[in-house]
Amino acid sequence: MALDLIDVHKSYPMNHGRKHVLRGVNASFGRGERVGILGRNGSGKSTLVRVLSGVEVPTRGRIRRSMSISWPIGMAAGFLTSLSGADNCRFIARIYGKPSQAVVDYVESFAELGEYLRMPVGTYSSGMRSRLGLAISLAIEFDCFLVDEALSVGDTKFGRAFAARLANAGLIIVTHSPSQVRQLCTRAAVMDQGTLTFYEDIDEALATYNSL
Amino acid sequence: MSDTAARPSLADCARTQLRVIGALVIREMHTRFGRHRFGYLTLFLEPMILAIGVGIIHQLHKGERGVRGSFEMYAIGYVLFMKFRQMIMRASGAIPSNVALLHHRQIALPDLFFARHLIETAACTGVLFLMTFVGIAMGGEYPDSPMKMLAAAALMFLLAQGMALMVGAATTEWHGIERFIHLMTYLFLPISGLFFMLYWLPPWLQEYAVWVPTVHIFELLRDGQFGEKYWTQYDLLYVAKWILVTHLIGLAGLRVVRGRIGLE
Repeated sequence: MALDLIDVHKSYPMNHGRKHVLRGVNASFGRGERVGILGRNGSGKSTLVRVLSGVEVPTRGRIRRSMSISWPIGMAAGFLTSLSGADNCRFIARIYGKPSQAVVDYVESFAELGEYLRMPVGTYSSGMRSRLGLAISLAIEFDCFLVDEALSVGDTKFGRAFAARLANAGLIIVTHSPSQVRQLCTRAAVMDQGTLTFYEDIDEALATYNSL
Repeated sequence: MSDTAARPSLADCARTQLRVIGALVIREMHTRFGRHRFGYLTLFLEPMILAIGVGIIHQLHKGERGVRGSFEMYAIGYVLFMKFRQMIMRASGAIPSNVALLHHRQIALPDLFFARHLIETAACTGVLFLMTFVGIAMGGEYPDSPMKMLAAAALMFLLAQGMALMVGAATTEWHGIERFIHLMTYLFLPISGLFFMLYWLPPWLQEYAVWVPTVHIFELLRDGQFGEKYWTQYDLLYVAKWILVTHLIGLAGLRVVRGRIGLE
């Protein structure tokens, strides 16, 4: 089981010509691997996340998927503010073919929304929304979790749930924060000017990243 | 396109797609009608009130007797036409407002359309039955062949679906044409066949009218409603060709658009 990127290019039309964001990315993520991808602003990180999650299709190149990858953790992907938190949970559960009640129970157990779980998401505070987003992301078992930007994990309820999920799943973190890569990853890569370079040694990756 | 994986079987794919469409239908019902039960009523009430209004206006037309002034002719035809127009108009902008859903890799662009269309179909079929009973209650006759009427409704939906897929793809690529499509659906009304039957037209005009696919569908509908009483003429193969071609263009268009979708 793996996720392979083979010479992936992504460009967007601009007023004059095209903007080339990914210029031939090659990567292979194995089952259970924990990979950190470091990149400065404008290096093509966000585009890489969207191509990895599958929302965007490469302009050129191939992606081979033989394991399931989450949507970026915490993202309210396709949530509707007019629906209640529980309804949004049920929708996600149905899409992924999981029992609705189990997903709602899981979210209820650590999103700490109380009565609000049955209220429209539009009535939530931003903190409640992000707890709901995180909880739903972890309610589905993926082979590999995709993390866009640093998460405040630590010894919170969420941090423990996250660690429990990671016990039998892989991880891809795309971030500009070296500390989390050091904390969570076993392999690292640096994204620079649309290409990705892997380093077997994390310290080497961090050193390269810091010199950019 | 650029994704290859250990290919799941066709049956697995079909199961996934059915599951996704089911989930989207429930989501669409919840959002469109909210948690207020009133919304479910408007799904039926809105087309009914319009159809009854149009039907009565034509019924009251002085000097028109027989089918030309009949309630059933216009009320039932109008339900079909209105859903046809609604499905096409709702298709514009359907993709941009749902891009975030594509984070879930099981969801494909056509699913968004199929889910909506299922709801519209269900609502319309219900209204069609109701209008038929209202027509009978108002002194009209029993339909000659309900099956033909249902077939006409099914064809109308398939044609609208093909066009909606095309419109959905086109409006994602070129934002400007949304208003144009709105305009077209209104201008289409007089030639759609809703307000005439083929045999009312002079022969030279009939030759042109049969180019319009919905004219055949309305003729089939009226054959089902009135049977042998009036002369009807339709070519279902011609309609089927339209349905096939619009679906092919629409699905191909969505495939092209899928590769270009970018989040802001």
